[in-house]
Parts: sequence; C-alpha cells; structure tokens
Amino acid sequence: MPNNTFELVSFVPWTLIFTWCNLFILFLIMKKLLFKPVMKILEQRQNEIDTMYDTASTASEKAKELEKEYSLKLASANEQAGDIMKNAQAQARKRENEILEEARGKAAAMTEKAHAEIEQEKKKVYEEIKGEIADISVSIASKMVEREINAKDHEALISQFIENVGEDK
Amino acid sequence: MGSEIAVTGPRVLFRIGPIIITNTVVTSWVIMAVIAAVCMYLTKNLKVKPDSKRQIIAEKLVLTVYGLIDGTMGQKWRHFAPYIAALFAYSFCSSMSSLVGVKPPTGDLSIIIGMATITFIMIQVVNLKYKGVAGSLKRFAEPVPLILPLNIISEIATPVSMTFRHFGNIAAGGVITTLLYAALAALSGLVLKIVPVAFIQSIPIFQVGLPALLSIYFDVFTSFLQAYIFCMLTMVYVSGAAE
Amino acid sequence: MERAIVLAASAIGAGLAMIAGIGPGIGQGYAAGKAAEAVGRQPEAKSDVTSTMLFGCAVAESTGIYGLVVAMILLFANPLIGKL
Repeated sequence: MPNNTFELVSFVPWTLIFTWCNLFILFLIMKKLLFKPVMKILEQRQNEIDTMYDTASTASEKAKELEKEYSLKLASANEQAGDIMKNAQAQARKRENEILEEARGKAAAMTEKAHAEIEQEKKKVYEEIKGEIADISVSIASKMVEREINAKDHEALISQFIENVGEDK
Repeated sequence: MGSEIAVTGPRVLFRIGPIIITNTVVTSWVIMAVIAAVCMYLTKNLKVKPDSKRQIIAEKLVLTVYGLIDGTMGQKWRHFAPYIAALFAYSFCSSMSSLVGVKPPTGDLSIIIGMATITFIMIQVVNLKYKGVAGSLKRFAEPVPLILPLNIISEIATPVSMTFRHFGNIAAGGVITTLLYAALAALSGLVLKIVPVAFIQSIPIFQVGLPALLSIYFDVFTSFLQAYIFCMLTMVYVSGAAE
Repeated sequence: MERAIVLAASAIGAGLAMIAGIGPGIGQGYAAGKAAEAVGRQPEAKSDVTSTMLFGCAVAESTGIYGLVVAMILLFANPLIGKL
C-alpha cells in the first residue's frame, strides 16, 4: 500500500508526460470542436451581414436615384403644367379681347346704324314736313287769293295752320 | 489518529510495464472527455441565426476568450486562444472535481509542473522566435552582465512560482477539507456519546452541510481564480517574451 | 530519538513557515482597501477594479503559498527523515 500511494508533495515523471499529452489533446479538442465551428459560423454571419449591408446600400442608392429622377420628372411636369396654364390663359385673354372687340365693333356698328336710321328718319320727317308746309303754304296762298283776309281770318288761319301742323305730326 | 487523517498525494491505479498511471491522470482523462462532450454538445448544429441557448453560450465563450487574448496579448496572438481555453477548462474542471469527491488533478504536483513547463517552454520558444538565439541569450545579461545568475534564477522562478501558487491553493484546500472532515467526525462522535447506541454514535452529523460552505470558497472560488490567474500569467509571460 | 527530534523540529518549522502568511494577509488587505477606495471614487469601474484586485491579490499571495508549501512538505513529505 505505501508503495501505491505517493506523498502529498511528490513528483511522478509519468504524470508529467501524461499531462503534456493531455494538454495537447485538449488544445486540439478545443480548436477542432469549439473554436473552429464557432468561428466558422461567426464568419458566415459576418459575410451575411456584409452582403445584407451591400444590398441595403445599393437599394438605398437606387432609391435615391429614383427619387432624383422622379423629382426631375415632377419638376418638368410642373413646368409643363405651368406652360399649359399660361398658354391657356393667354389664349383665353386673347379670345376675350377678340370677343370684346367684336362686341364693341358690333355695338358701334349698331349705334351707327341707329344713328343713320334716325338721321334718315329725321330727314324723311323733315322732307315730309317741308312738303306739308309747302302744301299748306300753297293752300293758304290759294285761300288768301280766294277771299279777303281780315284780322280775324288771319288769326283763324294761323291757328288752323298750327293745328294742321300738330295734326300732321 | 494518524491513520484517520490521511493526507496523501496521488495513488497508483495501475501500471503498464514501467508506466505508472495514477488516479489523477485517470481523472484528467475523464475531465477531458467531459470537456470534449460539452464542446460537441455546445457546437451541435450551429446556425447563422442562433435559435438555441447553447449556441449563444458557445459563441459567448469563444468571444470571451478572444476578448481576453485581445486585452492581454493583442490581436496578433489570437491563435493562442484554443490553448488558453484548454488550459482554463482543464484547470477549472480539475479543481472543481474535488466537489464530486475525487482527488483533484490540480492537487497533484506533477500535473501542475506539466502545465507550468509548457508555459515555460512557450516563453523560451517565443523568445527564440522573436529575438533569435543571440538576442534571447543576451537578455540574461541585461542591464549588466553581473546579474546574470539573478536573471537565470528569475527565469526559472516564473514556472516555479506558477506551479506552487496553483498547487498550494488547491492542495491546501484539500488538506483543510480533510482536516475539517476529521474534526467534524470527532466532534459528532463526542456529541453523540450521550446516546448509548454504537450505530448512532458512528453517524457524523456535523459532516452534513457545514463543509459545503467551505468548499464553496475552496472549490468554486479558488478553482476559478487559480485557473484565471494561471491563464493570465501564461498570456502575460508569453506575450511579454515577444517584446 | 533522533527521529523524534527531527519530527518535532519539522513540526515547529512548519509552524514557523506559516508565519509567511502574515505578509500576504497585510498586502491583500491593503489591496482590498485600495480597491474599496477606488470603487468609492469610481463606482462605474467596479468590475475592472475587482478583477484587477483579485489578480493582484492572487499574485501577491504567492509568498504565502510558498510558506504553505514548505509547511506541507515538512508535514506530509518530510525529506529530513530520509536523511537519518
């Protein structure tokens, strides 16, 4: 039994050699069974994250490009719309002016026509009155010639004349 | 009394010719098998998107070791990480094995010497690699050639101090636990003498529970601390040899 | 007789060797006090301070451990008895 048990503080060379081997094997175990697979998975994850970032950055770049494009398009559309509006407005104004002008012209023509008619009417009336007056003068003259005229007659004649005139009118 | 308290070293389990295999070596093999099984379990079907707790634990472990290496030695020493992890796992599990009642391999001087000599050899190899033969010999004669013997002694003192620190802590824990068990057995024998039945007198009532408190310090705390310190010193010395 | 003397001297030597425990006790107490001060000054660095303190304590402990090992050698693996 004492041959089989060592003292507490004792040195066994074989144990030392076994320890070296053990530690080396344990090192290999750790390397192969723990570190390698875990690092592999971590690397894979890193790669995945990298590709994700890449796709995300390209997508955002694309989105930015699209945004730029769309804003450009929007600006041009706005411009176009403005142009169209301006054109329409100009046309409308022109049309308005034309209509106004036309209306004014028409109104002027009508006024002129009316004036001319009035003038003509006037002239006609005048001519008629003239003719009438001439007739009356002639008839008066003939009556005068027919009978003697006194003061009373005069007066009657004049009033008759005036009455005639009023009637004729 | 002397036969009751048996504070002994490793025991020979069997011999193959001249090869002596002690119980601490066999315990080491069991511990290695356990570590390998735990590693295999932790790294079973890893996924890029972790969905199991054990994968998170595995990644956390690996990254912790890498963080320790980065903080103590620098990024270029990352290939050292598996050895440091192996050293830590071996030392910690060995010391903890006293919880299940076997003799802890770290309480065997030969095994600690084995661990420390590997560190010592690593220091020398790194020295040779980074300074060349002349440079690594020259460092013993610096700053003045007069202190050459002192430098050699301090070089050898490195593994010796590492060995005795680790061994002393764990072995002292074992010795104190053994003494405590013996003392508690004697105490319970004294107390139970009032009961005149031989069977009840032999029940060591004080051995239940009380030693657990002690073993929390000596087995868990000291195990962790000594394993951590052994790894830290290895890292510091090896990376320091490259400067 | 000689054996008894050697054993007694070894036991006394082991006891004396454990006087080495005073040094690390004082040193670790001092370190712990300083660590407490540091934590009081910078509570956010508590984990760093604690780990540094534990590391330093464990390294400072080595002198005490040497004493312990010597005591253990004298008690459990006495090399002097073999020289009788």
